[in-house]
Amino acid sequence: MKKYLLMLLFVFLTVLAVACSNDETSNGDANGDWEPEQPIEIVAPAGAGGGWDTTARMAAKVFSEEGIIEEDIGVVNKPGGGGAVGWAYIAGHEGSAHNLFVASPPLILVPLNGQSEYGYDDFTPLANMIADYGAFAVREDAPWNDLNELFEDMKEDPESISVVGTSSPGSMDHIQFVQIAKAAGVDVTKIKYVTDPEGVGLTQLLNGSVEVFSTGVSETIEQVKAGTIKVLGVTAEERLEGEVLEEFPTAIEQGIDATFVNWRGFFGPPNMDEAAVKYYEAKFKELSDSEEFADIRSQYGWNEMYMDSEEYKSFLDEQNEEVQSLLDELGLGE
Amino acid sequence: MGSLEGILTGFQVAFSVEGVLFVLIGVFVGTFIGMLPGLGPISAIAVMIPVTFGMDPTPALVMMAGVYYGAVFGGSTSSILLNAPGISGTVATSFDGYPMAQQGKAGKALAIAAISSFIGGTISVLLLMMLAPMLSSVAISFGPPAYFALMFLGLTAITSLSEGSTSKALISAVVGFMVVTIGIDAQTGTQRFTFGNANLLEGIDFLVIALGLFALAEVCTLIIKRKDLSLDNTHKLGSLKITKQEAKEMSGPVTRQSFMGFVLGVLPGAGATIASFIGYITEKRIAKKPDEFGKGSVRGLAAPEAANNAATSGAFVPLLSLGIPGSGTTAVLLGAFLVLGVQPGPLLMTDRPEIFWGIIASMYIGNVFLLILNLPLIPYISKILKIPRPLLISLVIMFSIIGVYAISFSTFDLYMLLLFGVVGFLMRLFSFPAPPFILAFILGGMMEQSFRQSLTISNGNYMIFVKEPISLTLLLIGLLSFAFPIIGHLRKRKG
Repeated sequence: MKKYLLMLLFVFLTVLAVACSNDETSNGDANGDWEPEQPIEIVAPAGAGGGWDTTARMAAKVFSEEGIIEEDIGVVNKPGGGGAVGWAYIAGHEGSAHNLFVASPPLILVPLNGQSEYGYDDFTPLANMIADYGAFAVREDAPWNDLNELFEDMKEDPESISVVGTSSPGSMDHIQFVQIAKAAGVDVTKIKYVTDPEGVGLTQLLNGSVEVFSTGVSETIEQVKAGTIKVLGVTAEERLEGEVLEEFPTAIEQGIDATFVNWRGFFGPPNMDEAAVKYYEAKFKELSDSEEFADIRSQYGWNEMYMDSEEYKSFLDEQNEEVQSLLDELGLGE
Repeated sequence: MGSLEGILTGFQVAFSVEGVLFVLIGVFVGTFIGMLPGLGPISAIAVMIPVTFGMDPTPALVMMAGVYYGAVFGGSTSSILLNAPGISGTVATSFDGYPMAQQGKAGKALAIAAISSFIGGTISVLLLMMLAPMLSSVAISFGPPAYFALMFLGLTAITSLSEGSTSKALISAVVGFMVVTIGIDAQTGTQRFTFGNANLLEGIDFLVIALGLFALAEVCTLIIKRKDLSLDNTHKLGSLKITKQEAKEMSGPVTRQSFMGFVLGVLPGAGATIASFIGYITEKRIAKKPDEFGKGSVRGLAAPEAANNAATSGAFVPLLSLGIPGSGTTAVLLGAFLVLGVQPGPLLMTDRPEIFWGIIASMYIGNVFLLILNLPLIPYISKILKIPRPLLISLVIMFSIIGVYAISFSTFDLYMLLLFGVVGFLMRLFSFPAPPFILAFILGGMMEQSFRQSLTISNGNYMIFVKEPISLTLLLIGLLSFAFPIIGHLRKRKG
C-alpha cells in the first residue's frame, strides 16, 4: 500500500511540476525568420470543456498532427474572472513568443464592464479563426413570427417580455440582443433581462417563465428540429449554411441593420516580436485552410473567419467602439 | 421506435463485450478518481475526454457516463475515512460517516455507503428507464419561483442541522450566505465583495470551502488532540457486517432518498449536492431519534449516499432528453458528447436509440460493477487509517491542496483554502457548527438568484411566488416545518 501511495504522490508531483513550470525566455530575431525554440503554451482562460478550451485544444491537435508546427504545444486552463485571471497571466509574459491565448468577445466586454485590468489592446492579436453567431428563440406557440413583431410588442409594452441569457448583463448574451433591438428602435434601457447562471435559460423558455432566449445558434438546433422552439432571427450578416441553420432568417434581411459576431481567435502577450507575429499568422492561416480544421469547424458548427494580425486589430477597434457606446447607453460601462 | 424496442437495443449495447468492457473501464477510473479527496467527476471526465478521441461514440459515452457515476460512488470514501469530501455531493456523507469511522466502525461505514449508493443508483436507473420519455417535462416544470421555494424549504432545516446553540447555527448560516455573494452578481454584472481582486470575480468554489471547513479543520483538531488516547479507535477497521437491525434502519431512508434524490437530480441546477443535503435533512426530521444524527447514525449516512447516486442518474434526464446540462459536471459531459459528434436533445431518443438507451442500460451493469469493486476493496482502502498519524495528516493536507489546485490551477485558491481551514478550526473551538454554513452556501446562491429572476419577470410583484402550485406547495411545507417545532415547544411549556 505504501508503495502505491508513494507512486501516486510521485505522479501528482510530476503533474504539478509540469503544470507550474513557466517559460519565460524568448529570442525573437527581428531580421530573419522566426521559429519557436521551445514548447508553445496556449492558454484557455476558462475551465475544461468550454468554447475557448475546445478551440485551443483542437487548434493544438491539428497543429501537431498535421505537422504544421513541429514544436510541442500544450494547452493550459487558467479559469477565473470570466477570463481576467488568464489575461493577467499572459500580460505577465510580456514579449514572450511562446505564450499564446485564445479569446472571443469577452476580451472586449469584460474590461469594458470594469472586470479586468487588461483589455484587447494590451495584447498582440495574431489571427482570428472562426465566427459564431447569436440566435433569438421563442417558444413554438409564441405569438411572434419574426423579430419585427417581437420588437413592436417590446416597444408597446416592455414590461410584458423577459429575455433570458446565460451570462450577466453587459456580457455576450445580453449585448447581442441589445445591439439588434437597438437597431430596431427598442428603448434598450427598458429591456427586462434575466441571467440564468446555471445555464438553464432554455428551461426557462420552455416552461414559460420567460419569453425570449438569447443564445448561440448551435444551441437552438436540436430544439428547433424537435419543434419546441422557433428562432426569430440570427445575428449573422448572411444566412448560415447547414441543415436547419439555413432556415434561420438574419436580422438584416428583416430590415434591422445590425449584426453581432462571436469571433474567436488567438493572441500573444503584449509587445510580441514582429517576426514571431508573422510566423504565427502564416501558421494559423495554414491551419484555417487545412481540411482537418474544416472538419472540426463543421463538427462544432463554427464558421470560417480568418483575419490576419492587421485586419484583426482594426476589426477589434471597431467592435470595441460599438460595445462601448451600447454599454454607455445602458449605464453599465465603467 | 417504441420505448420497449429502444430499451432492448440499449441492453444489447450494454451487454455486448465492448459495452461491458468500457463500462468497467469507466466505473473503475471514475471510482478511483472519486476516492481521492478533492478530485471529483469533473476532473475524472476531463481526464478521460482525450481517451475517447476517435472512438465509436456509443462505447465512448457509455464509458464517460460510467466515469461520472463511478466518481460519485467512490466520492464517499474520503468523506468517511478522512472527513475530506472527495466531491461536493459527499459533504453530507461525512456528517455521520466520519464519526462512525472514528468509533472504530470504518469498515461498516464504507459498506453502508457502498450499499446505499448501489441501491440509490439502481432504483434511479429503473426510474430513468421507465419514465425517461415523460421526465423531460418534469425537468422543465420548475420556473424561478419554484426553485426559490425549493431552496427556501431546504434552508428551513438550518437549525436542525446542528447541535447546541440555535443562535450559533444561525450566525454560521448568515456567514455562509455572505460568502456566497462574493463575485460578479449574475443579475446585474456588478462586483460584490471582490475588493478589486480578479481571483474573486467568479466567487469562491464550493470545494475550497468544504475542504477548508472539514478536512483542514479536522487536521488542526487532530494535531491538537494528538495525545488523546481515546482516538485510537480510528485505527480499527471493525467488522464489515451490517446487522439485521442496521439493515432495517437503512431500508427506509435509502428507499425514500433514492426516489427523492432522483427527482432532485432531474431538476437542472439542483443535482447531487443539493439532493444529498436535502436527503440528510429530511431523514433527520422524520427520524424517531434525531439526536443520533451527526454522531454516526446509520440513517444519516445511508440517506445522503442513496440520494447523491440517485441524483446522478437523474441528471441524465435533462442532459439526454433536452440537451440541458444541469451542473458544471454535466456541462463537461455534454462537451464529451459533442466531441464525439453526438448532440443530446429531444431527438436523441429516436435518432440514436442505441446511445440513449445504451447509456441507461449500461448503468445497471455499472452499478453492479461498482458494488463488486468497492466492497472487497474496503479492507485495503481502510488501511489508510493505519498509516501513522503524522503521515496521514500530511497526506490529507496534500490531497486537499491538489484537489483545490485542480479546480482552477490558481495559487490564490490555495490561500483561500488555508483561510477557510483556519476559519473552520476557529468555528470548532468556539462551537459554531459548520454544516449550516455549508448549507447556506449551497442553497443561498441559487435562492438569491431565483428570487431576483422571479421579481424581474413579475415586475416586482411578489404574488409570483404563490401563483403557481409548485412554489406555493413548497413554500407552505417550508413554513409548516418552521411552525411545528415552535408549536410543539409552546405546548410543552403549557403542559
